[in-house]
Amino acid sequence: MEATIEVRGLRKQYGTTVALDDLSFDVDAGHVTGFVGPNGAGKSTTMRIVLGLDAADGGTALVGGQPYPQLRTPLCHVGALLDAAAVHPSRRARDHLLWMARSNGLPRRRVDEVIDLVGLSSVARRRAGTYSLGMRQRLGIAAALLGDPPVLMFDEPVNGLDPEGISWIRGLLRSLAEEGRAVLVSSHLMSELEDSADHLVVIGRGRLIADTTVSELLATASKGRVDVRTMQRAAAMALFANAGGTAAVNDRDAVTVSGLTAEHVSGLLDAAGLPYFEVTPHRASLEEAYMDLTRDAVEFAAPPVGEPR
Amino acid sequence: MTWALQAEWTKLRTLPSTVWLVLGTVVGTVALGAAAIAAVDIAQCPSPTECFEDTTKLSLTGVWLGQVTVVVLGVLAMTGEYGTRMIKPTLAAVPERRTVLVAKAVVVTASVLVAGAVGVVGSIIAGRILLPGNGFTVANGYPPLSLTDGPTLRAAVGTVVYLGLVALLSLGVGAVVRDTASAVTAVLSLLYLVPLAAGLVTDPQWHDWLDRLGPMTAGLAVQATERVDQLPIGPWAGLGVLAAYAGAALAVGALVLSTRDA
Repeated sequence: MEATIEVRGLRKQYGTTVALDDLSFDVDAGHVTGFVGPNGAGKSTTMRIVLGLDAADGGTALVGGQPYPQLRTPLCHVGALLDAAAVHPSRRARDHLLWMARSNGLPRRRVDEVIDLVGLSSVARRRAGTYSLGMRQRLGIAAALLGDPPVLMFDEPVNGLDPEGISWIRGLLRSLAEEGRAVLVSSHLMSELEDSADHLVVIGRGRLIADTTVSELLATASKGRVDVRTMQRAAAMALFANAGGTAAVNDRDAVTVSGLTAEHVSGLLDAAGLPYFEVTPHRASLEEAYMDLTRDAVEFAAPPVGEPR
Repeated sequence: MTWALQAEWTKLRTLPSTVWLVLGTVVGTVALGAAAIAAVDIAQCPSPTECFEDTTKLSLTGVWLGQVTVVVLGVLAMTGEYGTRMIKPTLAAVPERRTVLVAKAVVVTASVLVAGAVGVVGSIIAGRILLPGNGFTVANGYPPLSLTDGPTLRAAVGTVVYLGLVALLSLGVGAVVRDTASAVTAVLSLLYLVPLAAGLVTDPQWHDWLDRLGPMTAGLAVQATERVDQLPIGPWAGLGVLAAYAGAALAVGALVLSTRDA
């Protein structure tokens, strides 16, 4: 089976709320694809539809070219962690994995293998209800890996993990992709994906905002902005405004100018005789690029601090 | 289907609540049966030969209590999935939803049939031990209860089947309602409210109709071994009524499970 997820024209409405609005994207083998968007953007809904848990109102979602409900051994095609809390609290963790293994004809041996893989061997006989959120995330990841699937989907996998757990997940995601699997990881925080994702699918209000690589996104967000450091900040800002640029204060002696090139900025400062000690093209952070993209797509936004409602 | 069965069986046997509910069915059935036997003495009759007590039916009274845990077991098999959100991994592992429901029906019913058989045999043994002490002796025309007696065997097997059908009815209602408290309440009301209502109805014809239509009264007609021709509904026809309720609940449950979002 091909290691791909293909989402085409997906639509989903819950009552009057439009959750997905003509969403299309691909997840390819050998990459970690970050699936980002503000809370309520439709990330979990998309994953639920891919797994056949919810029915789409329109469009298709295929894994390895097939609709998920038609797979005979789905756990051997797609591994998913949608909701780490979705375990019966009275059942032992090992038994949770055992019923899943049985459901797809997988051997009992495989249960012990994935328990070792996620580091839960010493607590595998404990009831799942006694697990911390971090341990449940590991149990959910063990369940996803049970069938050794070529496609993996993780919904907010680092939620509730300690720093050691977070770096473990990042390493795991990368190694799964290096083995040639297609890995889709959702997060509402871009910073969580900064070190692990190669490709990004950004959505907001159920629509695709960007389908791009990390480097392309950074280049776009950096474009047309210049960082300036000068002791005469106020005078410099007036100069840029007159020339048609917009300047935003970063620090006591630093501004970021948009709408003017670096050459133009340094030319203006030289002509006015203003001293400066840095004029460089702006290097946006991934978080900044993401904020720019999703600013209009945040569903529940607080008014900026200090502004009247 | 084999894999789905293995998965559902693993799920059922790895929950502590299953053990308690199965034990509860056995203990509840035998204990209430013994209590019912103890409460009836041949001395209360005008004469020992005019008692007309159906001792088999009396000994099997315990299902009135034993079925409560069966209802909870049947309902929980489905609502437990929604309560714990386990329904997501369940349907991700077995996307064909009707297969999931059938597998649950098989493993839950099998467990209940075993528990019911133990409870019913226990009740018959309790009857053999306790009945003679209350005057129900061979001398008074009451041979000891025995499963080699045709009507008694039919009553015993029928009672076990009754419990199995109650489990299926509960599973079906659980699949429709998805909430444990609501589903348990719905099934118990359906079972107990009809006999209670029939008790308030004085018109004998209406009374008989309620007995024929109530899933519990109709289903338990199978326990009668005396004056069977005077029952509002025949023993097997009565179980048929209960089976119709269970079938309808499962059919609606299957429809809801297949069409609604998980």
